[in-house]
Amino acid sequence: MHYPWWYVPFLTSPMLIAVISVLHVIVSHYAVGGGLFLAVETRYAYRTGNSAYLSYLREHAWFFILVTVVYGAITGVGIWWTIGLASPLATEMLIHTFVFGWAMEYVFFVLEIASAFIFYYYWGRLEPKTHQVIGWIYAASAWMSLVLITGITAFMLNPGAWPEHLTFWVGFFNPQFIPQVLARTGGAFLLASLYVYLHAAFKAKDQELRDLIGLRSARPALWGAILVIVGGLGWYLALPESARAALEAASVLNVLMVLIFVITVAVFVMLYLGPYRHPGWLSPGFAILFFAFGVAAITTGEYIREAVRKPYIIYNVVLGHQVLVDEVPRLRQSGFLEGGTWTRAFVAHHYPQVMNGKEIDESRLLQLPEADQRKLGEVLFQYHCNDCHAQTRGFSAVGQLMRGWTPEMVRTVVEQPEKVHFFMPPWSGTPEEAELLTKYLLRIAEPAPGGMRYGEQRINRESSRLDAQRRSNDHSRRVDRVARR
Amino acid sequence: MEPTTLMGPSNPLGYPAPYWFLVLFKVLGFTLHMIPMNLWYAGIIVAMVLSWRGDAHARRVSHRLMKPMPVIIALGVNFGIVPLLFLQVAYYKVFYPATILMAWPWLAIIVLLTVAYYGVYVYVAGLRQGDEGITAWRRAVGWLTAVLFLVMGFLFSNAFSLMTRVEAWPKLWQTTSVAGAPLGIALNVDDPALWPRWLMMFGLALTTTGAYIAVDAGLLARGESDPYRRAAMRIALKVYAVGLIWFAAFGSWYVFGTWPAELREMMFSEPWVVLTGLTAIAPGLPGLLILMGRRKVTPQWAALVGGAQFLVIALNAVSRQVVQNVELRPYLDVTAERVNIQWSPLILFLLLFVAGLGVVAWMLRKMVSRGEPVVSGG
Repeated sequence: MHYPWWYVPFLTSPMLIAVISVLHVIVSHYAVGGGLFLAVETRYAYRTGNSAYLSYLREHAWFFILVTVVYGAITGVGIWWTIGLASPLATEMLIHTFVFGWAMEYVFFVLEIASAFIFYYYWGRLEPKTHQVIGWIYAASAWMSLVLITGITAFMLNPGAWPEHLTFWVGFFNPQFIPQVLARTGGAFLLASLYVYLHAAFKAKDQELRDLIGLRSARPALWGAILVIVGGLGWYLALPESARAALEAASVLNVLMVLIFVITVAVFVMLYLGPYRHPGWLSPGFAILFFAFGVAAITTGEYIREAVRKPYIIYNVVLGHQVLVDEVPRLRQSGFLEGGTWTRAFVAHHYPQVMNGKEIDESRLLQLPEADQRKLGEVLFQYHCNDCHAQTRGFSAVGQLMRGWTPEMVRTVVEQPEKVHFFMPPWSGTPEEAELLTKYLLRIAEPAPGGMRYGEQRINRESSRLDAQRRSNDHSRRVDRVARR
Repeated sequence: MEPTTLMGPSNPLGYPAPYWFLVLFKVLGFTLHMIPMNLWYAGIIVAMVLSWRGDAHARRVSHRLMKPMPVIIALGVNFGIVPLLFLQVAYYKVFYPATILMAWPWLAIIVLLTVAYYGVYVYVAGLRQGDEGITAWRRAVGWLTAVLFLVMGFLFSNAFSLMTRVEAWPKLWQTTSVAGAPLGIALNVDDPALWPRWLMMFGLALTTTGAYIAVDAGLLARGESDPYRRAAMRIALKVYAVGLIWFAAFGSWYVFGTWPAELREMMFSEPWVVLTGLTAIAPGLPGLLILMGRRKVTPQWAALVGGAQFLVIALNAVSRQVVQNVELRPYLDVTAERVNIQWSPLILFLLLFVAGLGVVAWMLRKMVSRGEPVVSGG
């Protein structure tokens, strides 16, 4: 509303954030856990003088750099790019609140990059002690970047007392902070081990070495799984009431919650029975299956974490349709089109007849020709609804959701979306604008699918028979009356 | 349509630091970002040309230019975070609309960068085997990455020129939107300043590449022979000279051919004329130093060239900032926002920044004391 709304047909632009985030998290957790793995295991290999293991670790470090420094770093930038495009108001609020959090994260990024390259490229040239210290500098920096970004993402789900205080630290140490740091740290341990298994299954040819890798990485992975569960529980307990309700009300989230629980348990059991008890099981097939399970768990978790925030982007601060919570009453009074920078400019340019000076005269909107009213309804749809709904086809398309709806049903949802579904943002316009949007939605709503039977045909046949009988009786009575006269 | 009507409301939280602080880190961060960015922007093309057409020394220069490129790109991408972060704090009213209008090309940078970055790794992996390792397909990948970086530069120039060209928004918006919602397919190609600006930056990048070759020859290539180092200095001089001519030509087109009269008048009158003059003539200094030091290559001289080029880039970054503010003046007063300083996070950031520099310096010291890196894997 403050900004132009980026229209992505079929998918909706915020879904691009979800896509890129999912692509990023499967590597970003490895960037943290893998760093700890390399630091701990390099130390172990130096201490035990295991040159075969050291040699493997060096090979793994190269794989680690290729995956995390290139793909991980760039997809991380990609998230930043996408949130600015698809969710500019929330990004503006986050950056104004946490710019120094991000700036601190940048310092740790630089340390990560420098230490990762020195750790790998100077392998065998640095004193073992210095080499290990540099490995630990990477591990600590990577974990600190996890902590910093988690403070910001956790804030979006539950900012706690921030709306009253508006200060950095109150926002950063929000109720979701510790649970999410635990869960993400656990996820980093777990996923790193799965990456190690995947890499080792193909690259470590020696059985003894593979057994050692399997065993050494099993323990952090098991601890990681436990941390994920503990953090997940804390996450659930620190959810705002609306998020918990969304989790229970949305069928897709129910299914995903069960799925993530089943996958986490399955990974735990596989870890225990596989690498922990029988390290020899570490075959490429087993590692690929394992890895797929881990990726499924992490991506499902991310999706749930994002989805339960609805109707907010930042809980109680920014709503899903790019409106600040505090702006809603004013918009209901003066109009959504009037309140939006780009919507007001659109109306002023295309429909100067509804302008009263520099302001939109809401009462004139319904005097426009029908086609123009629907056009403005479409503008309202783009800026008020397209965050979560495609138009006629695609992600949660309203044309499909409203199949066969009556005008009253559409009007009810438009005027009180938050009452119909609590996870939708409230209507943030005037009654005139609600009428415009209703007209547009009725235009794009598909008819109810044909051929569906609920027994009406039999009911209709029966009522037709009764009607015919009644008409026949009436006719007989009239004939009798005429005859008596 | 009046462009100022497209300017959104101010953020209710205000700036988390004084404007001067935000702009200081924006300019400092951009200067740091420009050094590696210049090296991949023009350096990869220079390396490809040297490898393709040059003699043994030229191919060696190409090799030495490309070998650290994965590290240069990683650092450059990271150094880009700070200026973009502070830009989004202080210039959010123009940054978000401009990038949303060209959302797909802007987002394409991420895809192009990923492909180009892996392309650099593919090329550099071939360098392990010397000249023979650069097979035809690796060479093709090298050229592709060079072109991709040029395309990315073009897209960045689009975004940052569109950011200040608010008067172009209404037309771009109306021609590329559905019911008022942009499709994100606009580009700022009808801006007369776009092309010279993009090309001028390439000239600057060439000078940085030339300076880097000189610094490498004098400071980092201690294991190389003297004839090589002298040859490298000659190549550095040629690259620098081409960059200087290029920068002067397209810079003149940019300044005298596309700047509005008001902007030109301001930048050529007191006190800004000093900055304009220094920005224009500064690139001559590293060029002169390379010319003077080409026969006897010493580490001190090379460090001086590096320092001078840093000054050139810093002056350019400061000038760009001044011009950006002047261009935005009719639409936006970036200094007029309310300020709500976040003292403790600000101080903590500064402390971490200094501590981080200390840790990096320690690691570099350890690294330098061990000589050149092992290149296995890339």
